[in-house]
Amino acid sequence: MKLDETKSLDLQPQKQESEPPSLHNSSSHRSISSNSLRANSIKEVGFVDLRSKEVRYGSRGGSTSMSMSQREISDEDSRLVYINDPLKTNEKVEFSGNSIRTSKYSVLTFLPRNLFEQFHRVAYVYFLVIAILNQLPQLAVFGRFASILPLTMVLLVTAIKDAYEDWRRHRSDWIENNRLSSVLVNGNYEQKKSKDIQVGEIIKFSANETIPCDIVLLSTSDPTGVAYIQTINLDGESNLKTRYAKQETVSRIHENEKINGVIKCEKPNRNIYGFLAYMEIDQKRVSLGPSNIVLRGCVLKNTSWAVGVVVYTGMETKVMLNNSGAQSKRSLLEARMNREIIFLSLFLVGLCTVVSICAGVWLRRHRDELDIMPFYRRKDYSGEDVDNFKYYGWGMEIFFTFLMSVIVFQIMIPIALYISMELVRVGQAYFMIRDDNMYDETTDSRFQCRALNMNEDLGQIKYVFSDKTGTLTENKMEFQYASIAGVDYVDGLVLRPLMKVQVDRELVRLSRSGNDADTKTGKQIYDFFLALAACNTIVPIVVDTSDPVEKLIDYQGESPDEQALVYAAAAYGFMLIERTSGHIFDSERKRMSVILGFPNNTVKVFVKGADTTMFNVIDEALNLDIVTATKAHLHSYSSVGLRTLVMGMRELSSQEFGQWRSSYEAATSALMGRASLLRKVAINLEKNLSILGASGIEDKLQQGVPEAIESLRTANIKVWVLTGDKQETAISIGYSSKLLTGKMTKIVINNNSKESCRKSLEDALITSSAPRTGTSRDDANLFALIIDGTSLLFELASKCAVVLCCRVAPLQKAGIVMLIKKRTKDLTLAIGDGANDVSMIQKADVGIGISGQEGRQAVMASDFAMAQFRFLVPLLLVHGHWNYQRMGYMILYNFYRNAVFVLVYALFTAFTLSSAINEWSSVLYSIIYTSVPTIVVGILDKDLGRASLLKYPQLYGAGQRQESYNSKLFWVTIADTLWQSIVAFFVPLLAYWKSDIDGPSIGDLWTLAVVFLVNLHLAMDVTTWTWIIHASIWGSIVATIICGNLPSCG
Amino acid sequence: MEQKNKNSKKPSYSRFSQQELPAWKPILTPGWVIASFLTIGALFIPIGLVALSASDTVVEIIDRYDEDCVPDAYSKNPESFIQDPDIKKTCVRSLRVPKKMVAPIFVYYQLENFYQNHRRFVKSRSDKQLRDPEAKNDTYNCFPEARTADNKPIVPCGLIAWSLFNDTYKLSTRGKPITIDKKGIAWKSDTKVKFGSNVYPKDFQKGGLIGGAKLDEKVPLSEQEDLIVWMRTAALPNFRKLYGKIDIDLEAHETVKAEVENNYNTYKFGGRKKLVLSTTTWIGGKNDFLGVAYITVGGLCLFMAINFILLYVFRPRRLGDPSYLSWNRLPIA
Repeated sequence: MKLDETKSLDLQPQKQESEPPSLHNSSSHRSISSNSLRANSIKEVGFVDLRSKEVRYGSRGGSTSMSMSQREISDEDSRLVYINDPLKTNEKVEFSGNSIRTSKYSVLTFLPRNLFEQFHRVAYVYFLVIAILNQLPQLAVFGRFASILPLTMVLLVTAIKDAYEDWRRHRSDWIENNRLSSVLVNGNYEQKKSKDIQVGEIIKFSANETIPCDIVLLSTSDPTGVAYIQTINLDGESNLKTRYAKQETVSRIHENEKINGVIKCEKPNRNIYGFLAYMEIDQKRVSLGPSNIVLRGCVLKNTSWAVGVVVYTGMETKVMLNNSGAQSKRSLLEARMNREIIFLSLFLVGLCTVVSICAGVWLRRHRDELDIMPFYRRKDYSGEDVDNFKYYGWGMEIFFTFLMSVIVFQIMIPIALYISMELVRVGQAYFMIRDDNMYDETTDSRFQCRALNMNEDLGQIKYVFSDKTGTLTENKMEFQYASIAGVDYVDGLVLRPLMKVQVDRELVRLSRSGNDADTKTGKQIYDFFLALAACNTIVPIVVDTSDPVEKLIDYQGESPDEQALVYAAAAYGFMLIERTSGHIFDSERKRMSVILGFPNNTVKVFVKGADTTMFNVIDEALNLDIVTATKAHLHSYSSVGLRTLVMGMRELSSQEFGQWRSSYEAATSALMGRASLLRKVAINLEKNLSILGASGIEDKLQQGVPEAIESLRTANIKVWVLTGDKQETAISIGYSSKLLTGKMTKIVINNNSKESCRKSLEDALITSSAPRTGTSRDDANLFALIIDGTSLLFELASKCAVVLCCRVAPLQKAGIVMLIKKRTKDLTLAIGDGANDVSMIQKADVGIGISGQEGRQAVMASDFAMAQFRFLVPLLLVHGHWNYQRMGYMILYNFYRNAVFVLVYALFTAFTLSSAINEWSSVLYSIIYTSVPTIVVGILDKDLGRASLLKYPQLYGAGQRQESYNSKLFWVTIADTLWQSIVAFFVPLLAYWKSDIDGPSIGDLWTLAVVFLVNLHLAMDVTTWTWIIHASIWGSIVATIICGNLPSCG
Repeated sequence: MEQKNKNSKKPSYSRFSQQELPAWKPILTPGWVIASFLTIGALFIPIGLVALSASDTVVEIIDRYDEDCVPDAYSKNPESFIQDPDIKKTCVRSLRVPKKMVAPIFVYYQLENFYQNHRRFVKSRSDKQLRDPEAKNDTYNCFPEARTADNKPIVPCGLIAWSLFNDTYKLSTRGKPITIDKKGIAWKSDTKVKFGSNVYPKDFQKGGLIGGAKLDEKVPLSEQEDLIVWMRTAALPNFRKLYGKIDIDLEAHETVKAEVENNYNTYKFGGRKKLVLSTTTWIGGKNDFLGVAYITVGGLCLFMAINFILLYVFRPRRLGDPSYLSWNRLPIA
């Protein structure tokens, strides 16, 4: 959770009803907020200054922004931008223009670059070498054209596909580059094409406009310099984010003054959430952070205009730097297949060696006869001198025979396999995307295949690592319980944006009375809701309704927990109306604070945070009863699966406040170690708090999660849930999601020290050897131990069907995945929805992103994306099974189909590699005669129906046990191939033994026989005969017969 | 509402995209398996028997003459005999007809250990030149028999043509000569398409080394049927080539006198030469292989079918018995 911020803000607690709270008496929202601004103005002076000095704001990834802040900009790592002076800016170093190019190729570079990329496949290089060998006159087995045709066709098909994709990119680039924006030229704003924008220029854009490059905000329509932006194109998050212009520049733009200054910023980098720079203006140095920069692709919202100076352009913008595609993973099946191809190559080399040795022996034995032997005729008598004709000596002849046999037997390595696999995967992806059962109505989203090369891995998953929040649960938070001052209030709140909410009557009464500060309870409840409403990062947005008098407030925020809390506060009459800028983010504290100035000149600090961190700073002695009661409530909340937060507060004396203000200002303007200074300031403030209460927020399980988990467990997939929640919450979610059942033996490990942890792991290991199912819950401390206790943890975990890991940080998630990946060869799948799951998703063999509430970071990093956790069941059990089974069969069949066509004709030609099969047949065999049915069967055949696969999840075990493709099957296939090849060769041969059959005729017969054979073999393996399969199999036999009879082919 | 549905990303339903196309899913039930094995057995054994008997009706006379047609004086060095143009090469063989041979009787010459499928050999020809008089210079592949010493193209060029078989046979029975019809022994497609009717032999067999038969320069290639037959290179090192046809029947126990002009040199590389007279049936020449193969496969299928029946009767198993599923047999480890 991201609630670790200190901030200043304007807050207007108020009821929705006409009766206002006692703080201010006013009837209109607007006037209230302005009143409150004025009323607080005495105390707020410092805050106004503060917000302009404010430095850093990172919405996530605390570690990245931390490291950013501690690094100062050195000269060589920086660029200087002269505001409104593009000429000077580009004087020394020419920065790149703003035109972007996502396309890979231009017309000129297409051919070489595309070929270069395609030849990254070793197999293609092999075929190229063979084609080149074949061009040597001594080795020409096939005609020139015939020898290069297969490779050319494969390359051509891929090239056409690439060219089409690139053409579409060219088009979108062109549209992007020619978009107009207004740029300040000689004091006037002029329309300029996006591609002509230069670094240093000042551009202005209005609401709903997409920003064309990375800019540092100078001013906005808002007098305080706030701009709201939507980053949906950047990270997919639809909520609004705030960005600030520096106070130094805001007024100048408003007063139409000219701005002259220099911005020194980092070199372009791909960190979306980090920016480090300072601006020198009027001999003042103003530091700039991520909250001052607006990135290309963002959309300006709720702000009528904004002005900024261009710092990064074109390909150097952060979004473009981030555009490099996901790292490519290779499927397990393909890795194994490559190994098998190496086997085949060795076999090929062996075969060629045998043939060339035999040829050598034959030549040796007949060496005296070669000169005039009618079918050899070594001597050339046509000239004056009697020369050897095309004879290069015994050794060379053997060598040439070897090379020729490689050319002739090359068909053993299936060239068409790679392209067939790609086509099959495209077909499988089509079916996965189009599957009704993986379409989500509520979000209107289909399944997405983002990586095309690992479909078959879905059929072999052994471990599923799942995030909890947003993945198992909906991530739609509902405020359910509140414990205020040790009293438990049960709410049935359903808090939807802008809707009427059910409230707890008693609480309402108490909260209203709280304003009078008469009763102690009332006061505490007042403070509690004030903390809820104020202590967050929510941006309130006023939405017009059809009724002009009534306006609604929409709370936009990055954390759904906070949204829920603010809505809850609003329902109780504490409405957040407006917020000023200025944030601090720090993930180490695990809490956030807000300092509020009240009209009666009191200043209070409100703190909200996780219970572990909060109880450290709460002065328990202050009201011991309440603390114990709250702790008990927290325990009961979390045991029903609620997410808990603890609120505390303290009144500040004006002296304390002044002290804090000065140290805070010093910290923010510090150039070195800014983050640690700020943290120190915050820690000094957050102490001796008195407890206000705790909240319990419910995060509902997604639909179908228990059933899905049960299915996965029956399929013998180990489900690990990695969550940041506390133990009790995790366990209760575990039970409600059927992850845990009463029958299981639970092993709980939550030790704090290395030794005790090791001890309990050992104990657990002994216990786990007896019962089959177990549950281990590991606390964060254990994961600090991973290096020490790796083997134990792994041994234990591998014995458990279910593992729940609590209080896990994002990097630990990836660590756990890596641990399993290192220890076993089993395939892992990680599923998550948030940015904190990205590393896990990337590390796992298969990464799945949930396209849900928390933005699209997880989806961007994933291989597949879907809307609901329960889709995992059809994805793995049905599509995964089919994909794996189809692909495994297709690879084996391709090996068979190609190798069976290697006939031992050389035995009967004095080992000279003349081929009876005409060159066109041998070339067309694998790319035309037999290729279509394999691909069709690879896409369409089903060994089992959807219903059976879902009914018996155990069937998934076939993939886990690698039943469709393994070395045994490979060798059996090869043996079968050998046998079939021998039969297909000798039956026609013996039938025409000692007859007047000629070479080409028996060659055609062999071709036909083999085409019949492989197609019938395929037909016998097909389980589900649809008309498409019928058409493709029988069609290719007919096509072969027709083609064989055409004079051009035959 | 309709409008909304249009914009929805919901995949439009089709049986194809949901992988629910109607399909035939054959299940190999015992009945099916036994029935198909029985059918194959019942079909193949008769076919095999018929093929075997057909092969049996073929009458074949094979006479190896390459050794016997060398005079004893040269038996140590047959090459000096065959290469000497001054020695008369005629050799008389008498063939016994074992059974009645019904016309048409085919006369073949059979060469053994002659690699007509050798790479050097099969490549050494020019199909263009054979077809097209304009292409007489197209002798790229024909070395070493491409051009004469004075660089004129040889037509037909190449090793294959150069090594044209030149033994001749004259048959007679009871003193009466039997005419061997040498017309129509080549494939129609060859005479019509591959060999030009306006291409005439030129400078053929004029080099230092004579490989075989000479060609009449006045006869176009399309009518040189011996050449055409020869140039359809054999698939195997032991092969027959059609020499001609006899249109009269030969009675059983008759003796046929064969006058062989033994010109062709196979002695250098230990090749054998045979004269073959054979009748044919629908299955071709004498070859028991197909019949035996059919009977073997059919018999195996019958045998398997019987085994399956026995298995089915004595140890029956319910079809689709879920207790055989792996997870029902062993508890999941």
